[in-house]
Amino acid sequence: MSAELTPPSTEPPQASVSFGREAWRRLWRSPVSRACLAVLAVFVLVALWGEAANAWYSWKDVTPPWQAQNLDARYLAPGAGHWLGTDGLGRDVGLRLAQGARIAFQVGVVSSLIAIPLGVLLGCLGGYFGGWVDDLVVWISNTFASIPGLLFVLAIAMVVGKGLLGVFLAIGLTTWVGVCRLIRAEVLKQKGRGYVRAARALGFSHRRILFHHILPNVIHVAVVSFTLRFPAAIGTEVFLSFLGIGAQGEPSWGAMISSARLRLWQGVWWELAAVTVSIFAVVLAFNLLGDALRDALDPRLHIAQD
Amino acid sequence: MWRYVIRRLLQAIPTVAGVVLITFVLFNVVGGSPAAMVLGQNAGARSLEEFDEARGYNKPLFCGNWTGTRALEEVDFEEAPPSVRAKWGAGVTGPLRLEDGESLTYPLAFPLSEGETWRLTVTGQGEGFPDRGDRLPAFSMVWKKSFHGVGNPAFTAVGGPVEIDSVRLERGTRHFFDSQLAHYIGRVMRLDFGTSSSLNQPVWNLLKAGIGPSLMLTVPILVIELVVSLTLALLCAYRRGSWLDRSLVAVCVGLMSVNYLVWIVIGQYVFAYKLGWFPVWGFESWRNLLLPVLIGVVTGLGVNVRFYRTILLEEMHKDYVRTAFAKGLGEGRVLFKHVLKNALGPVITQVALALPFLYTGSVLLESFFGIPGLGYLSLNAIHSSDVDVVRAVVLVGALLFTGVNVLADVALAWVDPRVKLS
Repeated sequence: MSAELTPPSTEPPQASVSFGREAWRRLWRSPVSRACLAVLAVFVLVALWGEAANAWYSWKDVTPPWQAQNLDARYLAPGAGHWLGTDGLGRDVGLRLAQGARIAFQVGVVSSLIAIPLGVLLGCLGGYFGGWVDDLVVWISNTFASIPGLLFVLAIAMVVGKGLLGVFLAIGLTTWVGVCRLIRAEVLKQKGRGYVRAARALGFSHRRILFHHILPNVIHVAVVSFTLRFPAAIGTEVFLSFLGIGAQGEPSWGAMISSARLRLWQGVWWELAAVTVSIFAVVLAFNLLGDALRDALDPRLHIAQD
Repeated sequence: MWRYVIRRLLQAIPTVAGVVLITFVLFNVVGGSPAAMVLGQNAGARSLEEFDEARGYNKPLFCGNWTGTRALEEVDFEEAPPSVRAKWGAGVTGPLRLEDGESLTYPLAFPLSEGETWRLTVTGQGEGFPDRGDRLPAFSMVWKKSFHGVGNPAFTAVGGPVEIDSVRLERGTRHFFDSQLAHYIGRVMRLDFGTSSSLNQPVWNLLKAGIGPSLMLTVPILVIELVVSLTLALLCAYRRGSWLDRSLVAVCVGLMSVNYLVWIVIGQYVFAYKLGWFPVWGFESWRNLLLPVLIGVVTGLGVNVRFYRTILLEEMHKDYVRTAFAKGLGEGRVLFKHVLKNALGPVITQVALALPFLYTGSVLLESFFGIPGLGYLSLNAIHSSDVDVVRAVVLVGALLFTGVNVLADVALAWVDPRVKLS
């Protein structure tokens, strides 16, 4: 996480402390942010463990314990053997929850890896070069933005086919527009600044000015939008998997809600409760951290505070 | 004013073109013909071809004089699987071999229709390859024959054996631009959205039937949401920094973080099933709509209150507010009379952004509560690979969005004449 939170800054606003370090200091000062970081650290660790365990079992070619059915142990309430109980096929809810964290993490990371580079690149190009390049960028982003979001996601997932690939592409291809617009606006603002004019006067190439000088000063926008995109991506994945379009045969959180929903009417509450609390904790942590990060990174707000 | 409206309308044209293009790329280029998915694995080539014919899928994508046909799938004997090789009577490996005087028999899936132009292309080599001219027999040679309908042309080895590498049958298009894109654009222009393959009804009728229930669900959600969240946001802005403001903001972040699905599942279970305050499912009376509307309002509340609060607070830092306070106006008067009026712009934009959502309805709310709206329709269409319905819903949604955006901009210009200048 820390690598993303400290964008390399070639133009420190204060001479003594770098912008990134200053932002990090502001962030760390608040106990709420620290709690959020702790929650996210746990989430990432669980997801990485889930990834490793999944890789291990598929390499050994053994049915992993979260898929192993045990019909004698159906609907066990939380207890010593199964901390979070078992589901309708006798599978441990805790283990499935961890695997769900793996899938949610995957979706958040991969869809951001599609959306953010795409949005940053197009936003930078449009904002910096202007003219027909900008017209083209604005046209593409307007077009994507005018298609109703959820239906677009569903349509992409349908065309690409059921499975996580469709989920990655659907979320990635629909969310880059927001990043692109924010970055473009920010680049437009930076373009007129003195340091850009100075760099141009020194005869630097467009590529160097754009990616070495302007980009470090606008990348905080991408960092903030990453923390806001991530929970949104998790929400969309849950939605798609719930509808049976997302993860196939894997214990994704959406699929768990889908199966737990029907058993709720029989009084089996623990599966739904476990998933609900997990999603809530992760999304809340991301939302709060996103707010804190925006406050820490946005220079405008510092002036307002002082 | 009218000049501004016209300029704004002209600006919307590229967006509309882009939307048409994106839906085309998504469903035709990436998706391809859904015939096999809709008709099932056991459908014959002829019914697949008829499905494609009815929906324009048997044309080239963008342009071209020739296009493939399902009557004879293109075959390359280097890569063909054993089942295909058996149909052609080819050996286990290598090219298809014809002895001197032997003719090629092609396994047509159905007889070719008479009115069309067809072209058969055979590549291969050998001494007996017909029409080979002066070229050396070692090179791969191409034999092409155009013909009309029935009498399939014979490919016969003359004066020696022939080894055939590939065979391709193509159908001639009416003209160079007789393509899927042209077909699609033509249909969009005529507002012809095709026929639903799962319900066997014109998509247009399905859209008309679904829009009513969708609006019945989403219009109350939008209106209640707007009133409630603006009121709460004003309250927050009025008492900014107080415990009320802080706890409301905290509650909002909490509301935002609860998954949408969970709201619906728990809401339906607790209020409809356990407590019995609302009907669980169905679309019979207004009482069926109460719970979905309530859930819809609650799920959007967090985001909206925070958004409006930010707008109002940003407005409160402006000079005219300081002036109003300086001349001795009370806080309430400044807030409701000055700030709210000036914050109308972003509010209009926000409401406009929510308007297309009215049309598509809420996919989840509709399917959970059995409301036969467009969301429910599109979800079922996605499950049964009913491309025409999904495409029509996406397309109409996008067109409405573009139209509403123009309206919102005009409304903005009307509220704030400065907008016209930029």
